[in-house]
Amino acid sequence: MTTSRPVRVTVNGVHYEAMVEPRMTLVDFLRGELGLTGTHVGCEHGVCGACTVLLNGQTVRSCLMLAVQADGASLMTVEGLSREGKLHPIQEAFMEEHGLQCGFCTPGFLMSTLELLQHHPDPTDDEIKEALGGNLCRCTGYQSIIKSVHLAAEKKALRLPHWIG
Amino acid sequence: MAVATIKTPADLPVSAPRFVGKAVNRVEDPMLLTGRVEFIDNVVVPGMLHCAILRSPYAHARIKSIDVREAEKLPGVVAVITGEDAKRWSNPMSTIPEGWGGYCLATDKARFMGEPVAAVAATSRYVAEDALDLITVEYDPLPAVVDALKAMEPGSPLLFEEKGTNVILHRLFTWGDVDHAFRGADRVFTEKFRWNRLGANPMETFGCVIQWDVLDGTITCRGSIQAQSFYAIALAFTLGLPTNKVRVISHPHGGSFGGKGNPRGLTIAALVSRKAGGRPVKWIEDRMEYLAAGGSQSWDRHYEVSLAAKADGTLTGLKVTLVDNLGATAEGAGAISTGKPLAAFTGCYTIPVAQYDLTIVATNKLYQTAYRGMGPPPHFWVLEQMMDIAARGLAMDPAELRRKNYIPADRFPYTIPSGNEYDSGNYVAALDAVLAMGHYRQLREEQAAARKQGRYLGIGVVNTIEPGVFDWNAYAIVGMQGTGVPEGATVAIDIVGKFIVKIGFSLEGQGQYTVITQVLADYFGVDLDDIRVVPLDSVSAPPHFGPGGSRLGVAITGAVLGAAQLLTEKLVKVAARLLQTDPANVELMDGKLRIKGMPEAAMTVAQVAGAMLGRSDLLPPDVDPNPQATYVWTAPGRTVADEQGRAKSYLTAANACHLVLVEVDPETGKVEILKYFIADDCGTRLNPANVEGMIQGGVAQGVSAALLEEYIYDEDGQLLTSTFMDYLLPTIYDAPMTEKRSLETLSPFTPLGAKGCGEGAMHTAPAAVMCAINDALAPLGVQAREVPATPKRLWTLIQEKRA
Amino acid sequence: MKPPRFDYATPTTVTEAVALLKQHDTEAKILAGGQSLVPLLNMRLTRPGILIDLGRIPELNYIREADGAIVIGAMTTKRSVEDSDLVKSRQPLLHAATVLIGHVAIRNRGTVGGSLAHADPAAEYPAVAVALDAELRAMGPNGARSIKAADFYVSYLTTALEPTEILTEVRFPVLPSGAGWSCMEVARRHGDFAMAGAMVTVTLARDGRCSAARIVLFGVGAVPLRAAAAEQVVIGQKPSEKVFQDAGQKAADAAEEPMSDTHASAEYRRYLAQVMTRRALAEAVSRAGRAA
Repeated sequence: MTTSRPVRVTVNGVHYEAMVEPRMTLVDFLRGELGLTGTHVGCEHGVCGACTVLLNGQTVRSCLMLAVQADGASLMTVEGLSREGKLHPIQEAFMEEHGLQCGFCTPGFLMSTLELLQHHPDPTDDEIKEALGGNLCRCTGYQSIIKSVHLAAEKKALRLPHWIG
Repeated sequence: MAVATIKTPADLPVSAPRFVGKAVNRVEDPMLLTGRVEFIDNVVVPGMLHCAILRSPYAHARIKSIDVREAEKLPGVVAVITGEDAKRWSNPMSTIPEGWGGYCLATDKARFMGEPVAAVAATSRYVAEDALDLITVEYDPLPAVVDALKAMEPGSPLLFEEKGTNVILHRLFTWGDVDHAFRGADRVFTEKFRWNRLGANPMETFGCVIQWDVLDGTITCRGSIQAQSFYAIALAFTLGLPTNKVRVISHPHGGSFGGKGNPRGLTIAALVSRKAGGRPVKWIEDRMEYLAAGGSQSWDRHYEVSLAAKADGTLTGLKVTLVDNLGATAEGAGAISTGKPLAAFTGCYTIPVAQYDLTIVATNKLYQTAYRGMGPPPHFWVLEQMMDIAARGLAMDPAELRRKNYIPADRFPYTIPSGNEYDSGNYVAALDAVLAMGHYRQLREEQAAARKQGRYLGIGVVNTIEPGVFDWNAYAIVGMQGTGVPEGATVAIDIVGKFIVKIGFSLEGQGQYTVITQVLADYFGVDLDDIRVVPLDSVSAPPHFGPGGSRLGVAITGAVLGAAQLLTEKLVKVAARLLQTDPANVELMDGKLRIKGMPEAAMTVAQVAGAMLGRSDLLPPDVDPNPQATYVWTAPGRTVADEQGRAKSYLTAANACHLVLVEVDPETGKVEILKYFIADDCGTRLNPANVEGMIQGGVAQGVSAALLEEYIYDEDGQLLTSTFMDYLLPTIYDAPMTEKRSLETLSPFTPLGAKGCGEGAMHTAPAAVMCAINDALAPLGVQAREVPATPKRLWTLIQEKRA
Repeated sequence: MKPPRFDYATPTTVTEAVALLKQHDTEAKILAGGQSLVPLLNMRLTRPGILIDLGRIPELNYIREADGAIVIGAMTTKRSVEDSDLVKSRQPLLHAATVLIGHVAIRNRGTVGGSLAHADPAAEYPAVAVALDAELRAMGPNGARSIKAADFYVSYLTTALEPTEILTEVRFPVLPSGAGWSCMEVARRHGDFAMAGAMVTVTLARDGRCSAARIVLFGVGAVPLRAAAAEQVVIGQKPSEKVFQDAGQKAADAAEEPMSDTHASAEYRRYLAQVMTRRALAEAVSRAGRAA
């Protein structure tokens, strides 16, 4: 019989504690236990990137992590981007450049873009592709996504919210 | 009551459209960007259980016994069902053609790897999958057949023994005197082609939350469903319920491309809900389930094509023989995909006669389903390659051979041999636009220079028709009945003048809510924020279909404009009374109901609606005090298909011309796309950003069809490409960045002159890439006739030639 | 696709981890970055009784230079390797191999030790280890030991590690000054596993002849394949197209049993081995300086 373990995380600046089975994946924890359903499940084997979140400031595929591995970590999901009803500059950029259609892959792209802009505030096309190469989009064909990232860079969308580790 | 079609944006009752034709930001986006849209897996309802499905590991096997006792005992498991429950409580899944299918759960035998065999409802998906581990099934494996040609041979294993054959359908369609044309031709070009299975793969798989309340006899079903009313009817028939007892609520979903939806999964979840005493059951298809057994696989084809030509390049006839490997049953929309090519059988060309020899075969692969394009993408892939074969054979430039055979711009509406009518088009303009954009002459020089350096560059110039606004009669040849696909909308104004539009579909990604908002904002002269689009469920919404067949942009525009016009009639009557004049003297313009010739004698739409709802004393007696109207749009002028399948089916014929430059590395077989130019024409572009999104998305899928995507089965029917490690979707590196130019040849038949464009570049891109690859390979004496043109396939062709 | 039940332990020292391995024997599986293991768990292709998570052992996370080698702790992430200035400047072949692996999010979690121990035939790290004559350090119940990379890869997904041993560190000897290097592969898409690839290092003498060469193929057999006969073709010769071609042919010949899968046949892999060897040699030579 496997025993539940504690998972203590900060997500988007809010502290949570729960007891979960070790086998629960991080994405199921975020969506099911914490009700943060903005992060999506696309493949459950680490290829599509729809489940991408930030863990201690770095992108991770939350379908490839167990929730217990995140104990003690500071996470950010798409819900943490907009504040008080205002879209984050990255989200504005994606809207203005039509960088989304169905929106299912979008939270993952936003997280990957956020990480990219930390390291490359004015990225080249190659740097954008490198950063987003692990996020699949079936709708847009990516061209408008690249434009969205350039626009986000122009909007100086590089500062992580203060509560990110 | 019919309303007049508003033919162009200039005909809208506004001095200058502020929104129609502009790339306005989408109204859907803020909710999508913040992750607040309610995709189906976000839904939690009280008492909800989670379903997992046990699937056959064999492609073909008798089911001798199923023991579920250990599974039933597992803590957290509430219900377990098998094929016996399916037989008891449901009908077989409906199929097209009829009679080639079975129940949602395999009963006597399994016919494809992944076929559902049993299902569990438990307190979590984790526990439900634990329960599957405890179910024991005794299988008696049978020989499997996966090759369509082998499945047609006598002695082949049979999918349905009682049928005595695996051939589901064989028909020969002859449109005009084809034999005469071929006998009299100067040149006849013939080639064989193989298009391998691929499919939609939206980023969100299918899912549903369904509750079968047996006492009440009703079903409530939420799901990532593209066409809710049709799912509702299908579900009612399958479960033997009256159709008005089934309520389907379509949730915003993460793409579809035709291959979203799993009627079996829906039915299974309903059955397990019933077994669990009517508790709601959630079933989320996981990716491996989708790939093996979902709406994931399409277009498994063997072609033989002949093109007849005169010595001067005039094409005189086309023969297409198609053997289509439908898979284990005829459920899903696979057979339909063999019918749609009739809508544009001869492409952009004046080919006067044609023949279609169609055989649909059952094998132990997954049953095919719809995918973007619905059949023409492989058809154009062969037709356009035949054009290049003919061009080479006639020593003509491939662009010029096409130009020579285009339907001239002044011959529209034009009826093609297979019966459909193209509404309008200017193919020469599209060709010239793309050749200019790509500097075609320079590309040929670049190609020649590279050749001298030992590099193999190839150029593809390809054009297709992109049929839009589908109708049932397009699929008559495989047994689909009826004409007229409805799309209804209700436009309502409230007492302060804000608008609500009620429709029958949810978000899928194409931006229709924005188009609706743009059109109505310009029609009534209000701001985008004054309008709210609200999706209703299958029992509440006016008759509808939803997205599909490149129809919704046109259809929903027609519906909202129709409702707007009916509503305006009421507003005019009321305003006339309030302005003390005759209704014939009142018009709507720039958001005001005003007396013609006296623009200062006017009332705003809000004022009139407010009066209707709040000042009954002022209203004329012959108007119902309801500032709301409903209109159902269907394509005008549809006809019933004749015995050769000829009908006016798809209403619009958008077209596109793609010019592609590729390089093939003969040592590795890898293909790199160097340049990609597109000229496309879909009439009025209601939102140019939406259209570009459809095009670029279609390009990524089309290029990937040509190079990456394939479902591979081994001889025993085992699916080898069972995860995203092996079924390869295009990444940001694989989708070429394209340069686009748009032309606008309006449709004379549609609201605002727009043509359906949603399936867009998927019709054209596979052909464009393939023709470019073959142009690159030509100096090596090698031609590729199979997709995807993987590095291994190209390398093998090159090596075999060298040997 | 949900994992089956398992128990879970979070040792904070290597000794503790080894003790757990010994205690649970075949029921135990090591969780490092999880990028290879968790998909298998999600698909229920592996059903361990207990997962031993090495992620709470701080002493296994480091990159430093010592005794002419770049020394990396087994739980160092590939991202750390990618970002390391030390690796970029002193071990460029390792850096070049790292950026070919998967995508950013995978490298943020995937570990050096995990990749080396997992031993996927198409992975870059095992090939780099063999190409650089790396030394792998392991800790078991009987203490620590060193295993040379050439001896580490035994067969398909199988290394010389005992079931009760944990990889703790890898030492990548720094290449001689002026050595040229190349890492070249063919994959279906950027970031995918290679269908075939070659890691090459060369050193040129003052007269321009090749004084040393190392050619290691990956993706063409169950384990990284050192193409010794191909190396012999190159050593002592002045680099030229003909030399590269002959070496490529010898490399292809050495690939006796390449695997066939949905992406590539055995024959095609063998041919790619030849092409990659040739192109990697050319690139390595172009990077090489002349010996002082």
